[in-house]
Amino acid sequence: MKNINFKNFEPFSLSKKEKSFFFFNEIKKLTKHHYANSKEYKKILNFTNKKNDFKHLDEIPFLPIYLFKEYELMSISKDKVFKTLNSSGTSGQKKSKIFLDSTNAQSQQLVLSKILTNIIGSRRLPMLIVDKNPKNFSKSELSAKSAAINGFSIFGRDHLYLLNEKSEIDYLNLNIFLEKYADKSFLIFGFTSIVFKNLFSDIKLKKIKNNFRNGILMHGGGWKKIENIKVSSFEYKKKLFNKLKLKHIYNYYGLVEQTGSIFIECKYCNYLTTSVFSEIIIRDKYLNVAKNGKKGFIQVMSLLPTSYPGHSILTEDIGEIISKGNCICSKYSTRFKVHGRLPLSEVRGCSDI
Amino acid sequence: MIIENKKLEFLIKNQKLTSTPLYSYNNEVCNFLGDLSKKLDDKKINQDFPDVKALSFWCRKANIENLKRKSTSNEIRLGLGIIFHITPSNIPTNFMYSLIFGLLTGNSNIVKVPSKNFKQIDFICKKINELLKKKYKSLNKRICIVRYKDNDELTKSISAQCNARLIWGGDKTINAIRKIDLNPRALELTFSDRYSLCVIDTKNLNNKDECSRLVEKFYNDTFVVDQNACSSPQLILWHGNKNKKIQEKFWILLAELVSKKYSPPETSVIEKYNQLCANIISLKNINSYKIYKNLVYTIALNSLGKDTSKLRGKWGYFYEFNIKNLEELKKTVNTKFQTLSYYGLSKDHMENFFRNSNLEGIDRVVPIGQALDINLLWDGYDLNKILSRIIDIK
Repeated sequence: MKNINFKNFEPFSLSKKEKSFFFFNEIKKLTKHHYANSKEYKKILNFTNKKNDFKHLDEIPFLPIYLFKEYELMSISKDKVFKTLNSSGTSGQKKSKIFLDSTNAQSQQLVLSKILTNIIGSRRLPMLIVDKNPKNFSKSELSAKSAAINGFSIFGRDHLYLLNEKSEIDYLNLNIFLEKYADKSFLIFGFTSIVFKNLFSDIKLKKIKNNFRNGILMHGGGWKKIENIKVSSFEYKKKLFNKLKLKHIYNYYGLVEQTGSIFIECKYCNYLTTSVFSEIIIRDKYLNVAKNGKKGFIQVMSLLPTSYPGHSILTEDIGEIISKGNCICSKYSTRFKVHGRLPLSEVRGCSDI
Repeated sequence: MIIENKKLEFLIKNQKLTSTPLYSYNNEVCNFLGDLSKKLDDKKINQDFPDVKALSFWCRKANIENLKRKSTSNEIRLGLGIIFHITPSNIPTNFMYSLIFGLLTGNSNIVKVPSKNFKQIDFICKKINELLKKKYKSLNKRICIVRYKDNDELTKSISAQCNARLIWGGDKTINAIRKIDLNPRALELTFSDRYSLCVIDTKNLNNKDECSRLVEKFYNDTFVVDQNACSSPQLILWHGNKNKKIQEKFWILLAELVSKKYSPPETSVIEKYNQLCANIISLKNINSYKIYKNLVYTIALNSLGKDTSKLRGKWGYFYEFNIKNLEELKKTVNTKFQTLSYYGLSKDHMENFFRNSNLEGIDRVVPIGQALDINLLWDGYDLNKILSRIIDIK
């Protein structure tokens, strides 16, 4: 198929109406493309009788995320695979396998950069990564993690990994970094729970010589681990501000299955937002579209996946669309909130013991 | 037998079990079960835990007497000695049935309950303790209930001292425990993962009330245990002339009932959809599918293959197929098959078929609604006989 030239689009440039027209058209083309090129996708659409004639965005079929773990889904021939992404997953769980050709890999990088530029500007900033150097990851540590770190790293310069091989804070180098860069904007990147553990719970203020006033924190990867200690997004920000004077904090929501078109928090209303390249739909327990403001399963849509049929995916995350109130972002974006992953279910009976 | 270990939690603490057997259906044991039934009949608990209610009903005096009557013969039968019961991790009350089978056949029992804490188990053990402390001191040395996490040392030590070991569990659990030695004369009985199905003849189902009654019974066989018990049907065989309208009505009525009575976990929504997509991609004999209220999924097959026993669902995910007669079972039944529940066919019809068909599997044939009724005849074994020793006097 003819690819969209993503260079021509700014992530928040189209009004909601324009966007929905553009997006619907493009996602229909993608659906056709994957129908023609992925035999598994074709089977499912044929069987469920959802081949074409879509009148509305919510009629576009969606694949459950599980299928990317169970099957090698691709819309290109195997020899075109340029890179394979794996999702994180705790031991024992199967991981998603996402197959990219070079075009798809490029468009991911391009779109990610467009979305981030909007927040951090186009200049590359000094970057503090709240993790170990991926070189020091053990095999059991997840490849998705290092992929995310490497993916984001190219938006910064003079990188410092906050943690040493033993996962302890490297105060010596942190102080050198802060001394050099803390009086101007600098970028901080990390996973939600790891950032919280290190920059809030563990860090010893006495040992650092500067504050984080000019830092811009981007964090993502889920709240699951810190949900246990019950920190809301609001408290997360407040705590980091009180501790480090860190005030620019952005959470993002993204899946390895749709790398690139991440959803990022609006700086004014703090809700996650869609861009020109992405959309979300919330589905209820009947898998029908839920009313705005009602919790349900998050279906994510992205215009990026061309080499694998991942442009419309039903996740196992629970979220809700925010319709109340207005914000600058609501002109361009669907605003939403993620409540976290579905808990593993308990099943009665004697199978699966 | 002496049981000691710090990693062991006693729910019923009797460290010295006797290996002196009792005669089968000993009066003291029967009375104890009758009294236990009364003690378990607690309004509040029964409301929250229908499985405790079912247990209380099962071990009521009348049922025990009935079992006794059925088993009585002139044979001299005694318990084997001490039975080690390893019970499944996700059916809270299963351990009690295993224990009761051991008691009725005249044995002393050490029961390992699931390592996960279930309120039902704590409640039941509390009631047993009350009885053992007062009225039934004599049975003290015959019941010990323990909880421990996988610990081969403990399993070894108990296995070395028992006369029989019963293992309820998945294939993995069973294979792991089997590696642990028993005494040369000790016996082992395993209740592994099984597969069940039902057959429905539609000729009498035109009547809506009759159909509703059947649906209710079917619900009890399936949704009460999330369709995940070994004896819950996974596959529905429609017997005789195909009547699409009635089949459809059955599913519609079922979905209505399910929507009123059943609240599945949220993940079931995703899991059923996952399974549907996976089936569409890889199941060769899938013909069509239908979803009722997003609660009941049905997958119609266009043939019955050799690996039918892999077609399993949970939370209301069924496979269906039309058969002309029971002969077609021969193509697909293997040793995995346990329960065939039926409707619309006579007991004679079933008996006649099973007397002449040499099937590798299926050891329970019960009317729909009784699939989960556990009994001393289980998995093809007569526990009255297997768990006891006969003395042959000539």
